[in-house]
Amino acid sequence: MISIKNLNKAFRTELIETQALRDIHLNVSEGEFVALTGPSGSGKSTLLNILGTLESFDSGEYLLDGQAVQGLTDRALSALRNEKIGFIFQSFNLIKDFSIYDNIELPLRYRGFSSAERKQRVEQALERVGLAGRRSYLPGQLSGGQQQRVAIARALAGSPRILLADEPTGNLDSLMARQVMELLEQLNREGCTILMVTHDPEQARRAGRHVQIVDGMLSEATVYQPLAVNQ
Amino acid sequence: MQNFSYYLRLSLHNIKRAPLPYALTLMILSIGLGVFFSNATLYYWMNRDPLSEQSHMLFFPRINAVEQACDSCLTPLRVLSYKDVQKLSSSAIPSAQAGMFQSGGYARVPNTQNGPTPVTIRVTQRDFFTLFNAPFLHGQTWADNEARMELILHYNAALKFFGRTDVLGQQLLLDGELYTIVGVLENWQMLPKLYDVNNGLAITPVEEIYLPWETAYNLGIKSNSTTQSRDSRNYNENFAVNGREGEFYQAQFWVRLDTPAQQAAYRQFMDNLVASEKEAGRHPRPNGNLLHNMLDIAEAFNERNRQLDAFAMVSVLFLLVCLFNASHLSLNRYMASQFEFSLRRALGASRLQLQGQLLTDVLVNGVLAFILALLFAVLMLLLINQLLPATSALNNWQPGLILLMFGVALLASYLVTVYPAWRASYSPLNQQLKA
Repeated sequence: MISIKNLNKAFRTELIETQALRDIHLNVSEGEFVALTGPSGSGKSTLLNILGTLESFDSGEYLLDGQAVQGLTDRALSALRNEKIGFIFQSFNLIKDFSIYDNIELPLRYRGFSSAERKQRVEQALERVGLAGRRSYLPGQLSGGQQQRVAIARALAGSPRILLADEPTGNLDSLMARQVMELLEQLNREGCTILMVTHDPEQARRAGRHVQIVDGMLSEATVYQPLAVNQ
Repeated sequence: MQNFSYYLRLSLHNIKRAPLPYALTLMILSIGLGVFFSNATLYYWMNRDPLSEQSHMLFFPRINAVEQACDSCLTPLRVLSYKDVQKLSSSAIPSAQAGMFQSGGYARVPNTQNGPTPVTIRVTQRDFFTLFNAPFLHGQTWADNEARMELILHYNAALKFFGRTDVLGQQLLLDGELYTIVGVLENWQMLPKLYDVNNGLAITPVEEIYLPWETAYNLGIKSNSTTQSRDSRNYNENFAVNGREGEFYQAQFWVRLDTPAQQAAYRQFMDNLVASEKEAGRHPRPNGNLLHNMLDIAEAFNERNRQLDAFAMVSVLFLLVCLFNASHLSLNRYMASQFEFSLRRALGASRLQLQGQLLTDVLVNGVLAFILALLFAVLMLLLINQLLPATSALNNWQPGLILLMFGVALLASYLVTVYPAWRASYSPLNQQLKA
């Protein structure tokens, strides 16, 4: 699903150059649940952004679902993000004055789906995250956990090949965090490939595989018993 | 279409999000456009070609025929004498030609209780109506240029005196003389009235009554605009008996020269005319022959309205200042939306799709700014008409002009929107989406 070889990324200012990622190699297979951990500033969010094509890289090779990402046009990258990747952000990134329905429908708008298909997909995604009755609510009328579930529904609505989650429970209390993690685990069991950045060792342990990044270098920390697909 | 309705909904939603900054942006843009539209309207009417099919063929000849010698007087007078018109009329080169001048008088319908009403008069010859495309609603022009007690009425004058336009054969009393009506013009206007530029009357309405040239000289009718007399005797008394032969300069003369060859031939005719006059011991002044094309006539007589030119220039500068300010306000508004731009991009919107949204914003802003700007323009025109009453004929908007103004409003809206939106939509995606 994801294949990265010799990937490097540096941030440059006029005075200094900071090497964010060094010679990264990473392969993620279909159906895996990978936790990416590391201290602050280690480069884990940068790597996730590169995987999500939100950020470019300096050198190396990145294949997503067999397709080389480097050199793609803006239009092709947008289509790639829209069709193959679902994003879950730490701060939910919902549009505050859009209804839950409109927020989830947003990526589907750019996919060219008909109105009926968008409606069907939004309803299914809401059902899946347990918020079917809240379609006309505004994000501010929901709890943090519910908002993150809306964000997950938005990510799921387009049936992506992979979910990229950046500290999805970082802004939630422990109860809500557990609910969100259970939802992610369930999605993984249903076959969804997930790559999650977290600083929480407990959550990392719940993923099938745990890779660590320190000073921009990746190391395989632990390979847990992978969760069975379609259980 | 589905996308457009979504983009439209988003545009309106964005306005509702921050109505005050949006209203300020729109107000500044509308004021700038309104001032520009009002001045552009005046500028358009003053500088348009009223006879685009034939203006390039219409010419105003001038000869330096004043009978007092003056070697340093190289430029002819602005007006011609009866004798000058007679001499120039002797050429067969023009396909149409007419001498003319403006006058005024009092008219009333005979055998009615109605009192005399002031009217504007154009004394002219039969080709006037061909030269300036003045269309007839009823009747036709005079059969020839001989004197006759017949007049032609403008549409408005027919309505004013008779309440209808089918008045051929009816009579009208003009300054005590009884005339028969032989023609009624359509509701025709020529703006600017280029045949009267040398009198500074380019933005006055066309005349209400048209009288035969020879009849006017028979009756001693004088011009009420530019007139020069080089005779030391009492002007009024002398003109009445000696109007044709005396040195009374009051006339305009227009010719239609269809081809460049005809134009060259006519210049040669004018030179030959002056040479033969000099041989006969007349035309003591130097040859100062001029042949002005209709489109150059305002410059030639230095009658271009410099005030309106200055207003137009100031209004363009003011519009630029308004665009700059509106763009600044717009930048603040769009920068506040950076997060949403980045989120949409992250969720799969291409830059092309975001451009679609921006163009819809441009359309919405353009339409709203256009409507408000028209209101401001009306107010500005009323103010300008108060300050410069002569401009009151120039505040008419034709469909083409309105369409052009709408185009300018869209362009202004695009300029105000494009840079701020570009800045907002091209920010790094990851920065806006961080926690």
